[in-house]
Amino acid sequence: MNPLHLLRTSCLILLAAPAVARAAALVVSVTDATGKPLPDAVVLLEPATGKAPVKPLPDVEISQAKRQFQPRVTVVTVGTKVAFPNFDTVRHHVYSFSAAKTFELKLYAGVPAAPILFDKPGLVVLGCNIHDRMAAWVVVADTPWFARSGSDGMARIDDAPAGAYKLSAWHPGLGAGGAAPVRALQLGTVEQREMLKLAVEALP
Amino acid sequence: MTPAHPALAWFHRSFGARVVALFLGLLALVQIASFSAIKHNLREQAYRELPEALAVAERVMLARLDAQAEQQSQRVRVYGGDFALLSVIHEDAETVGSLLEDNATGRTGADEAGLLRLDRSVLASSGKHIGPLVPRVQHLFDAASREGSASEVTMLGGSLHRVVLAPVKPPNDKQLGWLLMSFRLDGRLVDDMRGLSKLHFTLLAQDPAGGRRQLALSSLEPALAQAFANDAKVGDRMEMTSVHLLGEELGMRVRQLDGGTVLGVVSASIDEATQVPRQLQLGLLLITLAAFGVFAVGSLYTASRVTRPLRTLARAAERLGSGDYATPVRGVDRRDEIGELAQSFESMRISVAEKQAQILRLAYWDALTGLPNRAQFRDAVASAIAGAGAGTGESPTPVAVLMLDLDRFKHVNDVLGYAIGDRLLQGVAERLSREVMREGDLVARLSGDEFAILLRTGEPTLAASVAQRVSRAFEQPLAVDGHKVDLGAGIGIACWPQDAGDADALINRAEVAMYAAKQRHQGALRYDPSLDAGSALTLSLLSDLRRAIEQGELRLHLQPKLALATGAVVGAEALVRWQHPSRGMVPPGQFIPFAEQTGFIRQLTIWVFEAAAQAWRELHADGTKLVLSVNLSVRDLMDQDLPLKLELLLVKHRVPAEAFCLEITESAIMDDPARALGTLNRLAAMGFKLSVDDFGSGQSSYSYLKQLPVDELKIDMSFIRNMDRDAVDAKIVRSIVELAHNLELSVVAEGVENARIWELLHELRCDQAQGYHMGKPMPVAEFRPWSARWVEQRALPARSPGATLLH
Repeated sequence: MNPLHLLRTSCLILLAAPAVARAAALVVSVTDATGKPLPDAVVLLEPATGKAPVKPLPDVEISQAKRQFQPRVTVVTVGTKVAFPNFDTVRHHVYSFSAAKTFELKLYAGVPAAPILFDKPGLVVLGCNIHDRMAAWVVVADTPWFARSGSDGMARIDDAPAGAYKLSAWHPGLGAGGAAPVRALQLGTVEQREMLKLAVEALP
Repeated sequence: MTPAHPALAWFHRSFGARVVALFLGLLALVQIASFSAIKHNLREQAYRELPEALAVAERVMLARLDAQAEQQSQRVRVYGGDFALLSVIHEDAETVGSLLEDNATGRTGADEAGLLRLDRSVLASSGKHIGPLVPRVQHLFDAASREGSASEVTMLGGSLHRVVLAPVKPPNDKQLGWLLMSFRLDGRLVDDMRGLSKLHFTLLAQDPAGGRRQLALSSLEPALAQAFANDAKVGDRMEMTSVHLLGEELGMRVRQLDGGTVLGVVSASIDEATQVPRQLQLGLLLITLAAFGVFAVGSLYTASRVTRPLRTLARAAERLGSGDYATPVRGVDRRDEIGELAQSFESMRISVAEKQAQILRLAYWDALTGLPNRAQFRDAVASAIAGAGAGTGESPTPVAVLMLDLDRFKHVNDVLGYAIGDRLLQGVAERLSREVMREGDLVARLSGDEFAILLRTGEPTLAASVAQRVSRAFEQPLAVDGHKVDLGAGIGIACWPQDAGDADALINRAEVAMYAAKQRHQGALRYDPSLDAGSALTLSLLSDLRRAIEQGELRLHLQPKLALATGAVVGAEALVRWQHPSRGMVPPGQFIPFAEQTGFIRQLTIWVFEAAAQAWRELHADGTKLVLSVNLSVRDLMDQDLPLKLELLLVKHRVPAEAFCLEITESAIMDDPARALGTLNRLAAMGFKLSVDDFGSGQSSYSYLKQLPVDELKIDMSFIRNMDRDAVDAKIVRSIVELAHNLELSVVAEGVENARIWELLHELRCDQAQGYHMGKPMPVAEFRPWSARWVEQRALPARSPGATLLH
């Protein structure tokens, strides 16, 4: 099943989700196919039924420096605006043809006039028209519980209340159309640890 | 030829090994020949096909390069209209440069890319080689304008690149600049080509001006590729040429590419092409091995088919050789050559077996009488003694041997002929066989007229009675073809164990007894040691005599013979004396009779004759002319070879036969007158004078005397010695002289011991005299002085007995 589609479906169910009582931490250890810790993986926790309300994130920025996007992977909630400042001396031409957000920032230097609003959940792949090697990913989440794994491969979600969830994860190594594994999960009131292994080859 | 190595020796002896070696050797030759033919054909084929293969490979190379050039050119042309490129072309150089570094190379696969303004100056580039490249590609701009792109292969930064130039131009708009890109050509290019054609490709970069060549790419191993680059002969050749590089022969074609900046070389190893494919080699090897196996087994089988029956035949031959004639030869039923050989062996076996039986018959049986012969008789005696000795032990059963010799048998042969003689012997055999009836006793014919009887359990008394019976049986005359022949026989008896210890001695002693019986004219005589001439003393004397000749102990003495009429020395009688080292001078009477008995006299006669010949030569050298007399014995006369032996000695010492007078006693002649006559005739024919010695003492037959070729009679000294006192002797001498003169023979008197006898003989007109009165036998050295003295004495009449007599 397409993960974007799945994310979208989750959004539709959100309104029917019941209120939950207390929260406990969930620590997810993400590894690649060989079992090594995998950084820059996005972990989403969605209620098994219904949908949790989300609010936009403030002051999100994806810059261009040394002909690279920084950061390469960004997770935002639906409705978040993202700025694209160019710190290089060369010009860039940022674009996306993804269904969740199609846009183009034509050859520019410095900070473009307006930030870009990501108003649909899903994966947005960013590129530069004159620098094919530049790439970045924005995951637009329709859930308040998400995290990005650090260099140790650990992603921590603190405030999810106890209850039934679907746990999913994604990483650029899976590709834009790569299958994100989904796991049914029962969260309790104590900290819980999960292991997720993604079909990602070890990155060089 | 002696093969040094044992294996080689075995090989030379073994027929089978040689057959196998021959077969395998021939097979190896065939295999080598077919392998050579295959190799040769492959080489021919390679030489035929290689040029075409190279040409094809060259086309592959050109096509591959063209295709690559077209592909890369097209990419550059397309990129010349790329939106991203066009969108930045009016931006700052750094942005353009970042685009070239990223998009341009990424999307076209070029290694470096440069954007040139319309005036061909560099606006931006992704690498450091583009700037210097621009002046070198000026000639491409026109073509690029015309064709939409232009390319060239050239060295760039030490490696081979294709540079492509294309205009930068939005669709339906003016040209905005130039895009110059370089594509590095790597080993995959030549490896791809090799993959297509199986040959090797090498690209050499060439500086068109200086002609310096540089190795760019090659599918060959680096050393060989470098050798190509260094080889000066590599030029543009449309034909296949062969070149030797690093010990390998290569066929190659060379093609100039892109106006001479690059040489494309297609090559193939000729050695590799002409090599027999491994699969074929393996196949041939397997076939060869299999054939070797089959041939080895087959030839071994064939060889064994031949050698096994041969070995069987060899064993059969060995059996025949070792005397086994009873086992038939196997393999005679074969129908091939070996069968024939086996049949030959078999018939040889049969005939040898028959011959063997015949030889046995001849060896043990007397053909004339059918009686056992001496050999069988001897064996029978030996086995009788062995059987008797092996009996109870305390008193062995005695064994007796009787031996008999017919009297006067020679006369029968001479008078009635050998046929009658043979018949007579057969009759004797029958008669003896009749007399000896007892089981186990044996009658045998030993030789000539000699027969023997073996009596097992022969007590001496029994032997004596059998001998008596045999003697009586001989009293009856034997009738042969109407002739009645009176026979007598001397019989000798010897008994074991009394007379002898073994078979040979027993037979010898019976023989000794028989000779004694004949001599004494006794019918039968038992052996007694006193009869034996073969005693230990005799044997030692015989060996002494032999040694005497070898060691030179014999001396020649001469006794002068004088002419009675003139007193002159006309001859001498040669006599032998023996100077024994321990016994001193041995008198002739002590060894001459013994020598006659044993036959040794023949050697003595020869010795005397040779010594006399030497003496004659010595005396003759001084001018003394003598006739030397040498005595011959009966044994000499019976020796058929005597004339020849004497002849050889005459030749050896260069002495004429006329210088000798050979003296033969009357009795010697009368023993076998016919045979003696033959020998004497031959001697006379040779020129020898002959003399009858001891005339008057024996029983001379005047009929023989008449026939004898003699020149002289020598009167027996018994008559001479006493003739001065005995009137009868004197009368006999007178008669003999007259008889001799009547027969025209000269007369010699020996035993002249005083002057009176000399005188009487002179009166009787006897011709020559010999005796102590004139001279005793003396050594040869003394003979000459004696002669001188004799001549001197004769010159003084008072002191010379001869001279006295003459007056």
